[in-house]
Amino acid sequence: MIELKNLERSYKTGHTETWVLRRINLTIREGEFVTVMGPSGAGKSSLLNVLAMLDDQWKGEFFFHGEAVHAMNRKQRADLARRRVGMVFQSYHLLDDLTVAENIDLPLSYKDIPKSERQALVADTLDRFNIVGKKDLFPSQLSGGQQQLVGIARAVIHKPDLLLADEPTGNLHSEQAKEIMELFRRLNEQGTTVVQVTHSEVNAEYGTRTIELRDGWLYRDTAGPEAAEVRA
Amino acid sequence: MYQFMQDVRFALRQLRKTPGFTLTAVITLALGIGANAAIFTLVHAVLLKNLPVSDPKTLVRVGDVDECCVEGGSLENDDYSIFSYDLYKHLRDNAPEFEQLGAMQAGINGGSITARREMNNDLPRSSRGEFVSGNYFQTFGLMPFAGRMIASPDDVEGAPMVAVLSYAAWQRDYALDPSVVGGTFVLNTHPVTIIGITPPSFYGDRMDDTPPDFFLPMAIEPVLDTAALLHRPELNWVYVLGRVKPGTALGPLQAKMNGSLRQWLATQKTYQTEDGKKTLTRTHVILTPGGVGIARMQGEYRSGLQLLMGISALVLLIACANIANLVLVRGMARRAETSIRMALGAQRRRLIRQMLTESVVLACLGGLAGLVVAYAGTRMLLALAFPEAMGLPIHASPSPAVLGFAFGLSLVTGLGFGIAPAWITSHSDPAEALRGSNRSTRDGSSLLQRSLVVMQAALSLVLLVGAGLLTRSLNRLEHKDFGLQTENRVVVHINPQNAGYKPEQLQALYDQIEQRFASLPGVERVGLSMYTPLEGDNWGEGVAVQGRPEPGPNDKVGASWTRVSPEFFETIGQRVVRGRGITAQDTATSPLVAVVNETFVKHFFPKGEDPIGMRFGLDGVKSSNEIEIVGVVSDVEYVNAKKEMRPMYFRPLLQHAPISDGVEVWSLYARAMMLQTKGSVDGLESQVRRTLANIDPNLTVVDYNTFDGQIHGQFNQERMIARLTLMFGVLALALASVGLYGVTAYTVARRTPEIGIRMALGAGRGSVVSMVLREAMLQAGVGLAIGVPVALLCVRFLKTQLYGSSGLDVPVLAGAMVTLAASACVAGLIPARRAASTDPVKALRTE
Repeated sequence: MIELKNLERSYKTGHTETWVLRRINLTIREGEFVTVMGPSGAGKSSLLNVLAMLDDQWKGEFFFHGEAVHAMNRKQRADLARRRVGMVFQSYHLLDDLTVAENIDLPLSYKDIPKSERQALVADTLDRFNIVGKKDLFPSQLSGGQQQLVGIARAVIHKPDLLLADEPTGNLHSEQAKEIMELFRRLNEQGTTVVQVTHSEVNAEYGTRTIELRDGWLYRDTAGPEAAEVRA
Repeated sequence: MYQFMQDVRFALRQLRKTPGFTLTAVITLALGIGANAAIFTLVHAVLLKNLPVSDPKTLVRVGDVDECCVEGGSLENDDYSIFSYDLYKHLRDNAPEFEQLGAMQAGINGGSITARREMNNDLPRSSRGEFVSGNYFQTFGLMPFAGRMIASPDDVEGAPMVAVLSYAAWQRDYALDPSVVGGTFVLNTHPVTIIGITPPSFYGDRMDDTPPDFFLPMAIEPVLDTAALLHRPELNWVYVLGRVKPGTALGPLQAKMNGSLRQWLATQKTYQTEDGKKTLTRTHVILTPGGVGIARMQGEYRSGLQLLMGISALVLLIACANIANLVLVRGMARRAETSIRMALGAQRRRLIRQMLTESVVLACLGGLAGLVVAYAGTRMLLALAFPEAMGLPIHASPSPAVLGFAFGLSLVTGLGFGIAPAWITSHSDPAEALRGSNRSTRDGSSLLQRSLVVMQAALSLVLLVGAGLLTRSLNRLEHKDFGLQTENRVVVHINPQNAGYKPEQLQALYDQIEQRFASLPGVERVGLSMYTPLEGDNWGEGVAVQGRPEPGPNDKVGASWTRVSPEFFETIGQRVVRGRGITAQDTATSPLVAVVNETFVKHFFPKGEDPIGMRFGLDGVKSSNEIEIVGVVSDVEYVNAKKEMRPMYFRPLLQHAPISDGVEVWSLYARAMMLQTKGSVDGLESQVRRTLANIDPNLTVVDYNTFDGQIHGQFNQERMIARLTLMFGVLALALASVGLYGVTAYTVARRTPEIGIRMALGAGRGSVVSMVLREAMLQAGVGLAIGVPVALLCVRFLKTQLYGSSGLDVPVLAGAMVTLAASACVAGLIPARRAASTDPVKALRTE
C-alpha cells in the first residue's frame, strides 16, 4: 500500500540543517497495524506528517497504492489525502464551536457529497460509535475519552484506506486508552490499515508490527529485513 | 447554498462567542457605513433621484445652466437656458419631436403669493406660487390626487382663474380639507378657484428646500404679478422642459432648435445691431436629460456633496483598516482551527471563502446598525444644510436606493477588510500549527498590521488637515467685515405687490410703514429697500455713463443695484463717504438721483474723476444723462461674501426713470424692511405682524429674521461641510488611535517572553516603555511622512470650498501633525506601561 524509498526531511535554521528523517526505506502492506516508536525527536511525528501528506518539504520517493506522491503537486496530494487518509491527533483537535455531529461531518463538507448522503453517513457513524445521544453537544461538554472517540469517528467517516494516529491516548487515562486501542484493533480487523505513533509499549502490543526510529533513521522493524532497510 | 448557510451559521456562532470583538467591530462599521449612507441619502436625493413623474428617462430639458430669475439682453456665453414666454411658444410650435413641451417659472420666490381662503375669516398667509404652462402636468404625466390638473384651456387669456394646490401645502395648511377643491382662494387679492391637488409625492419640477404651494397658469401671470412678464418678449423668465417622442435623436433635434432659436431672436432689437448679428450666430441651446428636473439645487450642492462623499469614504477606509487588524489578530489565534480544517481536507479556496463569509456577515451586521446611524446622520445633515426648510422633499428614512447602497457597501467592506487576513491565515503550514497550538509560529501578519496602522495615520492626517482648512475658512467668512452693522437689527420681508398695491399707492404705504414702525417701543430706526444685504438676492443692470460710447456686448458695464429709503444706509451701517445719501426730498417727482459705492467709483471712474455730479443711464447712451450721482457710500457686502465686491448704485424708492426703467415698475415695490432696535425687544415679531395687518390685512410677513441670522444662513452649506469634516476628522483620529493601540498591545503580548528576558538581564521600566513607544511612534511617524504630501495633494479638491486660503496653511498642517502625534503617543503609552509592568519570572515561565 505504502512504499517509501530514500525518504529524507530536514529543517534549515540559519546556516544549520537539522535532519529529522534520513534515508527511510519502508513498505507498509494493506491491513497492517503498524506502531512507530522511538525517543523524543526521533522523527516519529515527522514521518506521520509525511504519510498524512500534510508535509511536502521532504525528498525521496513515496508511493501510495502505486501512485507516485512525490510527483504530485500540493493540490493533488491534498486531494489524495482527503479521499484515502484519516488522521487522529493526540490533542483531539476538535473544533470547539462545532457540535459533535458537525465535527464528524467536517471532512465530508470538503467533498462534493450531496447533503442527504452526508447526513446519512454522519448518522451511521454516530450509531457505529454509540454517540448518537451526544451529537448536539460541544467538545467542552465531553470527557477526554469521548472527545478522542469523536476524533476517531471524524477520521474514519469517509472510510479511508489508511488511518494515522499520533499518540492517540497520550492525554487519556488507562481505562479510556484501552477502549480507544480496542477500537483501533476492531477497525484494523475490518480492513483499515492503521499506523500509530506511541511511546506506550502497551499500545504497541495492539499492533502487528513495530518500527523504531532513532535520530531520523529507521533503527528496527519487527517485520524483518525484507520489509524495511534497517540501519545497523 | 447549504455550505454557504453552514458558513453563515458558524460565523454567527463565532461572533456570539466573542462579544467584545463583535461589538467593537459592529460599532466601527456602523459609524463608517452609516456616515456614507447618510451622505448618500443626500447625494441620491439631490443629485441622482429622478422626479416622481412617469417615465422620467424621456424628459429632456432645453438648457443646461441654472440662470435665474429674470434676464434681459443677451445671455452669458450665448447659451439659452431661460426663455421669454413668446420664445418658448415659438420653440414649442416648431418642435413636433416633443410629445409635450412645457414651461415653468424660473424664479419661485418665497412670498410670491399672498393666499387667503375665502371663508371663515381666514387670515392671509405668505405662500409660494409657480406659473406653469397649460400642458405642464400633461408633460409630466401626472394624475391629480383630487379634482383635476391645469390643462391647456385654462392657460388662455380670459379663461376663469384657476390654480392647483400642492398636496404638501394642502396637508400642512388646510389639514386635507376636501372642501378646498372647488373652493375659492384670494391670491394676491384676486379670487382663484382651486381645481385640484397634486399627487402626494410630487414636489414640483426641481428639488427645492421650499417647493411651490400653488401652481398657476401662465395666462394669469399679468394679473397676479405686477411685473407682467408674460408679454415682455425681451425678458427671459421661464425654463423649458418636455417629453420627446420615442426614437427621437437629440443631436439633430438640438441643431434644429438652434435654428428655431436664432430665427426668433433675429426679430429682437438686441440682435439687430452689428454686434448683435455677430452674437446671434453663436446663440444656442443645449438639450440635457430632464429626469431630475431643473437642476438648480444640484449645481449649488454638487461639489460640496462630492467632497463629503470622498471624506466619508476615507473614514470608511480607516474603519476597514481597523477591522482588518482585529480580524487578522483573531485569525492568528485561530490558526490551529485553520490547520485542523486543512488537515481534514479543506482546500485553501474553501477556507478563504469561509473566512470571507465571516467578514461579510460581520460587515452586514455593521451595515444594519449603520442604517440607524444613517437615519440619525441624515436628520443631522438636513438640519445643518437646510435649517429653515419647510417641505424639503428629502426624507431621513432610508429609501430602497439607500438600503441597496448600504447593503452593497457592507458587502464590499466585508470583502475589503476580510481578504488580506483570510489570505494570510489560510497560508499557515498545517503541520507546524498542529505541532502545538500555543506555539507562536512565523507570522506574516505583523507587516500587514503595521502597514494598516500607517495607512490609517496617513489618512487621518489628510482628514484633519481638511477639517482644519475648512474650519478656518468658515471662521474667516463668518467673521469677515462685511461693512455692516448687524447687532439689534431685524429684517422683515413683505410683498406690497401681492397685497394689491398699485405704484401710485406706494408712497402713502411707505410713509405709513415708516411712521408706525418708528413709533413701536424699542425701535430706533426703520429702513425700506428692494432687498437687503446677503439675503441671496441681486438685481443687476448695464450702466451707460454720460459722455462715453455705447457699451458693446463684451464691455464690463454691469452693476448691482437696489432702491433704499432715506434711513436705510444708517440702519445697516453703510457710511456716506462723499456727497450725500438718499433723503426724503428724493421723491417720485424730484430729479433722478443715485448714490454709488466705492467699487463703482473705482470701476467706472478709474482715472480718479470726481463721480459727484456725473450722470448715467440703464438703457444705453440715449439714457445716459437720466440719473445724477449725488453721493458715494462705503462698500458693503450685498451679493456673495466669497466673491469680489461688485460695483453698486442705490436709488430712491419711488423714482422712475422713463428711458432707463421703461415700463418696468416692479422695482418700485420695497420687499424688505430693516428695523434697528435698542437692544432686544420682547414680542417684537408679533408686534410687527400686528402692525402690518393693521396697515393692511393683506400685507403679510413673508419672512422674519434677525440680520445676524440672515447672514448666518448664507453659510449653511459651508458650515455643514466644515462641521462634518471636523467630525469625520476626529472620528478618523479616534479610529487610527484605537488601531495603533490594538497593534501595539498585540505586539507587547507576543513579545512578553522577550521583554521578560530583557528585564531579567537588567532593563529598567523606562527602557521598556521607550522601546515599545518608539515602535508605536515610528508607525505614526511613517504615517505622517506619507500623510503630509498626500494632504497637500488633496487640498486641491477643497479649493472651491475654501475662502481666503490657497490651501497651503502651515498652522493647520502643523496643528494636525501635532494632534496626530499626541494621539499616537497616548495610544502607544498605555500598552507600553503595561509592558513595563511585566513580571520577568512569569514571562519566562510562559516561554
